[in-house]
Amino acid sequence: MQVRLQVQRSDLATGETRLQLYQLDRVRKEATLLDCLERIKNELDGTLAFRRSCREGICGSCAVRIDGRTALACRTPVAELVAEGRVPTVAPIGNLPVVRDLVVEMEPMWQKMRAVEPFLRPGPDSGPGGRETVVPPALLEAVHKEALCINCGACLSECDVLTVSPEFLGPHALAKAWRLVGDPRDEANAPRLKRLSGEHGIWECTRCYLCNERCPKGVDPRDAIAKLAAEAIAAGIGRNRGARHAKWFVTSARTTGWLRESELVVKTLGVAVSVSKIPLALRLFRRGKAPLPLPRHKAQDLGPARALCRIVAEQDRRGAQGIVQGERALERIDFNRSLKQPVGEDEP
Amino acid sequence: MYGLDDVESSHDVLVIGAGCAGMRAAIEAHDAGADVALVSKLHPTRSHSGAARGGINAALGNASEDSPELHAADTVKGSDYLGDQDAIELFCNEAPGDIYQLERWGALFDRDEEGRLAQRPFGGAGAPRTVHAADITGHVLLQVLYEQLLAREIPVYEEYFVWRLVIGNEGCQGVLAWDLVRGGVKALAAKAVILATGGSGRIYRGTTNAHACTADGMAMALRAGLPLEDLEFMQFHPTTLASSGLLVTEAVRGEGGYLLNADGARFMRHYAPEAMELASRDVVSRAEQTEIDEGRSVGGSLFLDLRHFGPEKMTERFHGTRDLALTYAGIDPLERPIPVRPGAHYHMGGVATDVDGRTEVENVFAAGEVACVSLHGANRLGGNSLMETIVFGRRAGRAAAEQALKKGGSPELGPGARADGEREISTLLERCQGERAQPIRDELGSSMHENFGVFREEGKMHRQLELLENLRERYEEVLVEDKGQVWNNDLTQTLELGFQLDLALCMVSAGLERRESRGAHSRPKDFPARDDENFLKHSLVRWSNDWLDLSWKPVTITRWQPQRRQY
Repeated sequence: MQVRLQVQRSDLATGETRLQLYQLDRVRKEATLLDCLERIKNELDGTLAFRRSCREGICGSCAVRIDGRTALACRTPVAELVAEGRVPTVAPIGNLPVVRDLVVEMEPMWQKMRAVEPFLRPGPDSGPGGRETVVPPALLEAVHKEALCINCGACLSECDVLTVSPEFLGPHALAKAWRLVGDPRDEANAPRLKRLSGEHGIWECTRCYLCNERCPKGVDPRDAIAKLAAEAIAAGIGRNRGARHAKWFVTSARTTGWLRESELVVKTLGVAVSVSKIPLALRLFRRGKAPLPLPRHKAQDLGPARALCRIVAEQDRRGAQGIVQGERALERIDFNRSLKQPVGEDEP
Repeated sequence: MYGLDDVESSHDVLVIGAGCAGMRAAIEAHDAGADVALVSKLHPTRSHSGAARGGINAALGNASEDSPELHAADTVKGSDYLGDQDAIELFCNEAPGDIYQLERWGALFDRDEEGRLAQRPFGGAGAPRTVHAADITGHVLLQVLYEQLLAREIPVYEEYFVWRLVIGNEGCQGVLAWDLVRGGVKALAAKAVILATGGSGRIYRGTTNAHACTADGMAMALRAGLPLEDLEFMQFHPTTLASSGLLVTEAVRGEGGYLLNADGARFMRHYAPEAMELASRDVVSRAEQTEIDEGRSVGGSLFLDLRHFGPEKMTERFHGTRDLALTYAGIDPLERPIPVRPGAHYHMGGVATDVDGRTEVENVFAAGEVACVSLHGANRLGGNSLMETIVFGRRAGRAAAEQALKKGGSPELGPGARADGEREISTLLERCQGERAQPIRDELGSSMHENFGVFREEGKMHRQLELLENLRERYEEVLVEDKGQVWNNDLTQTLELGFQLDLALCMVSAGLERRESRGAHSRPKDFPARDDENFLKHSLVRWSNDWLDLSWKPVTITRWQPQRRQY
């Protein structure tokens, strides 16, 4: 198989970047993108810079953007990339400064990780050593996915918020934060959640779900952020815009089955700030970008919306096991999948 | 790099390598009151400890009755009686305490129904003793140790490639490193240095080891005049993907996977009629190699057949294995058997140390795969190597800290050390003609498989020594194509090849002299039996006056007299 790749190179003298075309012949049909980069480096161009180590998706070194999508080079079979004569473009991951070619400076990512104090803080009464802490296995399930993280930076690379707000803690650090908040052995939840609910924390995420989409290990960082949010609200840390916004979504859905956007503004920002937004609101109404507040829109059948709210409420932290996150809960209601008990009287 | 200035620095203790052993050592040195820093060519969580899957052994007795004595007896037998029994006993006694500590630091181990640490059975073990986190135990340990590192704010020189120990009149004064991100030689002084650089599997073409496992610490120690112990013992794992060397977990054989030869026959029936595919790693690897040597393979590969598992079992239990085969071999194991062959997996030998990581040079310590305590002797049991990184990482960290704190003054590198290093690098970088590292590395890898693989014999080992001489001559004129400073890993990979060539020479030399078959060192044609009378001893290789000097040291035996090793 022949493989042609365009690789983003850096000119260290000028700081500019350009694309360089490489061609490899007699590539094994099961070769990965990393195998190809290795061959380019060893046979064609010793100056091509990229990180790699384990070549099996464990060490997290080789995340790159392939035609704009972030993935691990070692987990990407090259055959499908070059099918039908395509020439994929390989570039460094996003939202981090480039050091050279495909190598980026990871320090901003580690900085964010350190900011969430990513280590267990057991309380003073966790007892002397001697034996293990006894923890029911089901409780540890809550952090199972986050523990899979290999720090590759794929989520960070894809995060739209980070592009405009570099101070945002970001999906990687927040997934790590849930790894600790969700651990029943950690006893620093309250201060952690308070900090995470502050500026550049959980509420800055715009829920685009690209981090979930691109994570090569199934960590689902966006779900972790949702779990942190639920936990923060449950812990009574609700007097901030993000939490108020989220709470109104629920209230609105439960009472009318719809999101009442005009009221959402008032509930999130408060009356005083909302008044200043009236000119904006009027422009939005005029252009049909926002529905008029009256008459109130109400769903004919409130059953499914209420059932959903009830499931989420009843799940409590077990929801963190991924059973009830967003679409999955909806799926259960829509298709009645793996539903052990009827959700509500409105179910068919 | 975190928390450090871009200048020459000095520390009480410097740990080279930031896998499980290195991080555990640094944590302990810190807790003992020393100013400690880590230096690693990778970010700590990228280290190869993270690839360890199955688990970590400690006789907790959670799953059934067990004791450190039983653990020790299994380890002694597994080592083919070459392990030092005092070290093994100490290791087995201390292992449970270390597991509890890891758990309290936050390690996410699997639990039994009562919420205690679950333990699973493992090869060569008389009781279920392996603590685990699904099939990502190494990953989980690497993360929790990194967390503890951050909790203590222990500085790490990340992506610093250490390639030389600086030895002076008072032992080791520090190390020289090439700063990968910024370029340039950095001199790091220390009162004590701990080597924790891992293994050497990349010397072989087919290996489960990461690209980074290039024998750095062993070769640096050798060049600094330290003896290396039992280097002839390299463990081969029987099921590695033929295409890439990636490991297919032993669990698929545990659950009933077959091994087939080119004729579609389950050949293990001729080698281990009782245990069949579940015989120990060295037995299965030797059986495979015999099939290959006798022409019953397809292009040097045997086949791991899982088709009879059916889709349900496959997706539920072996999703990871199917994914591995699909991604890296282009094969769906539900439809076709997976081509496998033995691949280099773990180096039992290494820098000779005592149970506190001490080496022959007073302030140089070593722990983990780079070291040879000797815990594993001629053959390592699964689950013992992760535990080794923790027990002996901790002990080395403590001993190094205590020694450094006793020593007054501030550490300094002798004048000229850095200039020396800079000269070496610039000689390499200024060379404009010659052969690049890759063809030399390729020949090294394939010839080591051919001549110093699962089976060894005198003629082939001699041939390999000659070939190594030739490769080393070619290496003298090697070309580094990248002349830049920033992220020049063409340079560091070339230096790594130098390490590998040195180590290969030592391995083959030791192998030639061990005229017996024991554990992973198998000479079926010339010396097929174990010879306790002449070879119940450790080989020691050292570099002196530009020549390799081979000597022997006795095995420590406390309670278990050598017996025939039979499973």
